[in-house]
Amino acid sequence: MSLIEILIITLIKILIILTLTLLTVSYLVYFERKISAWAQNRLGPNRVGWEGILQPFADVFKLLLKEDIVPNKANKVIHSLAPMVALFVAFTTYAVIPIGPNVQIFGYDISLVVADINIGILYVLALTSLGVYAITFAGWSSGSKYSLLGGIRSSAQMISYEISMGFSIAGVLLLSESLRPIAIVESQAGWMWNAVVQPIGFITFFVSAFAETNRLPFDLPEAEPELVGGFHTEYSSMKFAGFFLAEYANMIIASALITTLYLGGWQIPYIEKLGLADWLVTVFQVGSFFIKVGMLLFFFIWIRWSIPRFRYDQLMNIGWKVMFPLSLINLVWVAVLIMIFN
Amino acid sequence: MPKIFIDGKEIEFKQGQTIIEAAKDAGIDIPHFCWHPSLSVSGNCRICLVEVEKMPKLVIACSTIAAEGMVVYTQSQKTLAARNAVMEFLLINHPLDCPICDEAGECKLQDYAYEHSIGESRFVEEKVKKEKRVPLGPRVMFDGERCISCSRCIRFCDEIAKDPELTFVQRGDRVTITTYPGEVMDNPYSMNVVDICPVGALTNTDFRFKARVWEMSATKSICNGCARGCNIDIWVRNNEILRLTPRHNESVNSYWMCDHGRLNTFKFVNDSSRIDSPHIRKEGQLVKVGWDEAFAEASSRLKSFSKDEIAVIGSAFATCEDNYLVARFAKSVLGTGHLDFIHHNDPSFEDDILRRSDRTPNSLGAKLVGVRPSKNGLDFNSIIKAISERRIKALYLVEDDTIQNDPEIENILAKLDLLVVHSTNYNKTTDIADIVFPASTYAEKNGTFVNFDGMIQRIKPAVSTLEADRALEGMAMSRLDKFGTRWDRWAQGVKFDARPTWRIISGLSSVMGYKFKYNMAEEVFKDIASGITSFNHLDYDIIGEQGFKIKASVLEKEILE
Amino acid sequence: MAEKKRLKDLSIWQKIYIPEIFKGLALTFKNMLKPKFTMEYPEEKFIPPASYRGRPVLVQEENGEERCVACGLCSRVCPALAIEVQAAETEREKERYPERFEINMIRCIFCGFCEEVCPEEAIVMSKDYELAFTNRQEAIYGKDKLLVPVSQLQDRIEFLRNYK
Repeated sequence: MSLIEILIITLIKILIILTLTLLTVSYLVYFERKISAWAQNRLGPNRVGWEGILQPFADVFKLLLKEDIVPNKANKVIHSLAPMVALFVAFTTYAVIPIGPNVQIFGYDISLVVADINIGILYVLALTSLGVYAITFAGWSSGSKYSLLGGIRSSAQMISYEISMGFSIAGVLLLSESLRPIAIVESQAGWMWNAVVQPIGFITFFVSAFAETNRLPFDLPEAEPELVGGFHTEYSSMKFAGFFLAEYANMIIASALITTLYLGGWQIPYIEKLGLADWLVTVFQVGSFFIKVGMLLFFFIWIRWSIPRFRYDQLMNIGWKVMFPLSLINLVWVAVLIMIFN
Repeated sequence: MPKIFIDGKEIEFKQGQTIIEAAKDAGIDIPHFCWHPSLSVSGNCRICLVEVEKMPKLVIACSTIAAEGMVVYTQSQKTLAARNAVMEFLLINHPLDCPICDEAGECKLQDYAYEHSIGESRFVEEKVKKEKRVPLGPRVMFDGERCISCSRCIRFCDEIAKDPELTFVQRGDRVTITTYPGEVMDNPYSMNVVDICPVGALTNTDFRFKARVWEMSATKSICNGCARGCNIDIWVRNNEILRLTPRHNESVNSYWMCDHGRLNTFKFVNDSSRIDSPHIRKEGQLVKVGWDEAFAEASSRLKSFSKDEIAVIGSAFATCEDNYLVARFAKSVLGTGHLDFIHHNDPSFEDDILRRSDRTPNSLGAKLVGVRPSKNGLDFNSIIKAISERRIKALYLVEDDTIQNDPEIENILAKLDLLVVHSTNYNKTTDIADIVFPASTYAEKNGTFVNFDGMIQRIKPAVSTLEADRALEGMAMSRLDKFGTRWDRWAQGVKFDARPTWRIISGLSSVMGYKFKYNMAEEVFKDIASGITSFNHLDYDIIGEQGFKIKASVLEKEILE
Repeated sequence: MAEKKRLKDLSIWQKIYIPEIFKGLALTFKNMLKPKFTMEYPEEKFIPPASYRGRPVLVQEENGEERCVACGLCSRVCPALAIEVQAAETEREKERYPERFEINMIRCIFCGFCEEVCPEEAIVMSKDYELAFTNRQEAIYGKDKLLVPVSQLQDRIEFLRNYK
């Protein structure tokens, strides 16, 4: 393939992924509202379009038309920069998530990932920890005590949970012997899903993912009852929408990562034994990836409307005294497994 | 002084006083319907029953003469039971009319039913039906059912108005009040029976159903109908005067006032003929202008005349403060000695009860504060004569209508080059005036009147003008005044752009280069008190609500001067 | 000294917390499938019970006259000063009637004091809750809007007779 061809293919991939994410993000908001309504015996949005299907567009238009208020005491540059950072981090992470195996289209061998780089997982870790800057910037630059508290909580929370997250991933890496996401997926062939092999690691990663995305029960940076809105108290209009979209984009990334690292990615166990046509297998596999992600997203939302927020001391307790030791235990467990079977 | 004991309290009394009078002087209120301090005792309502030690039965406090060492109980078991029983009897045939009745809110029967009755009736039979709308006279309406037959109104006509017109007819529960055959109740004091009626049986035809008493504010003031200066309350709702009632002042009017004063002296305040903001005649028409423009115009035109060509006429309708400044304005600013006020005498109006032939409230006051011609100055009649001879070319007229009294004057005033008028309402004089200043009425300003007897009395603002704010001026405020906003329809009462005469004069003087440093009527009065013997050492607090009487010797000396 | 057993003391399963999470999740999931309570307002309207305090109205007798005698008690008791009554005389047996009766619906707080104080059962709270205005003047209801035939207010009047 020539350089031009690679460039064009990559651009097309980027476009597809970007539209897909933006659409899913906006509909994720819609589903969040619907599911929360159902859990509370309500109907949820049902006025805009059939069953409220056009609600996300109405929301976006509303936010677009709202006045953008910047507080007098805010640091204007950083105040504007923060939501951009949040969005940038959220979207760039998609680059390394593989949604299916390599496919042959028009004679080209195309991998279903924007950038198949060999340090993919490291890249993800690097970017997600950059995400904390968005929140800290927002909190600090707003010039409001609520925002500042939200921002500080956020950074403390991220640091605490990044550690157990890292150690959980270390267990996965030990087994796959690669940082390449596609390699990690392929290492979980059959029922050798990491969720099955190292369930403790799966749980610690899962919980840390909640904490990293600031979702309930770990949404202390926002904590409406105590901090008004936390880091985004002073944001309005599209800047607020930026944070809002970033939060949901992060949720999708977290789900996709969990799928890739622990649920076998796009793989369906033993599908090759059914003797289906190759293209059909690929379609099923891509579909299975999206279904896995979708179910995880539902779980994210479901958890939010079932479990109350932790106190700050509880959050720290769980992070340092439960999740961190558990992830270490998991690492030892994987090491023992490798020692025995190799 | 002899002493009695009421409810364990030792009380001194004057020989000959009844128990109820002694108690009233000591601040103890014994319930009463038929007893009235200024009327004879009839003793027929029985609510004032009290227990007296060593008396076999309860006695009525209103006709039992207090005696040395008497021990009276007004709150004993027996007294309370008797009071309750009397209330029950009175209420047997009294209709449950309170929602409709005008007296509600200031009704003795209502108050006592609340205070002294158990609140329930055992009477299950039909109540007696009587006539409900009987006009006893042109100004008083009678409701037979509500009447509790206390006979206060009958005694009032006999004893105070000296014109017996009313009497009881029938007996028992059919008893009712009517006029003697061929008589109507039209004596000039007839409406006082509405005030003394303890229930709503007698109502004021002018005020009937207009407002509830709790919606209005009451301001203590003085009637401007004649030189008696009866003490009154001005009742205002939504910046509109709805009624006047007499206020007790034993040395002026006791509890009474005449029907003329009650009906005819307040309606001009909220009339559509009120002048709103200053006017200047331009091309034959009075044109509304601002205060500054009016002051400038008046100043420049007054300055074009020589001192002897200007005359000033004060007013016996205006306050002492107003007249004091008018006098100083004439003497110091204009430099003229042609200064007087118009007397309004009507001997047919006078009687030997309250009414005086002098139909103005403050002619003595005007005279005292200096509204009178100086040594070579002209008095009112000479001024008119001088105008007709064109010796006087400019006239400054304050709060009076010269033409009303004498239509011929209209032709004479037409000869003037300049006529400046302060007036509350449009009248025949403003019709020919060149510059008209809107003056506040007696119900819109602070000030003092001096009655024929030398009694200095305070008037207070009850209606607010455009520049006056009720709360800031300390005016009486009803609940609606306190909490209403300008968007509430019931708080949008009309406010006129008018000022008290003393304020207009001081405004005009400062344009003419002479500064009076007054912000309040009280400050003007301070100057009067320090400059004029009759008023020496007085201030508004000393005058108070009951007035201050100038000593006859001081008064005589001052008038002779 | 023995440790006091407290309500707060948790069992081992509760301390692990994970089973409790699943219990909570099960509860919310069950609720997702239950029928919904939402009333879809403009299409489906709430019909309040007799105890409901909607906008105050004046009772109109069958002969078309108002019951109100303009005593002004409602206006006096109104904590928000929403009511204005101007009385006048009539030739009817009840000699007083409201020449003007206005309720400022912007001021009204629906406390029902007017109804409670009314000696004639002439002002009652209706079931009308659809009150929207586009300007201040529109919000002042005069007799034309306030008078409602007694037949439409029967259940509220009955409620008042039973419970007032």
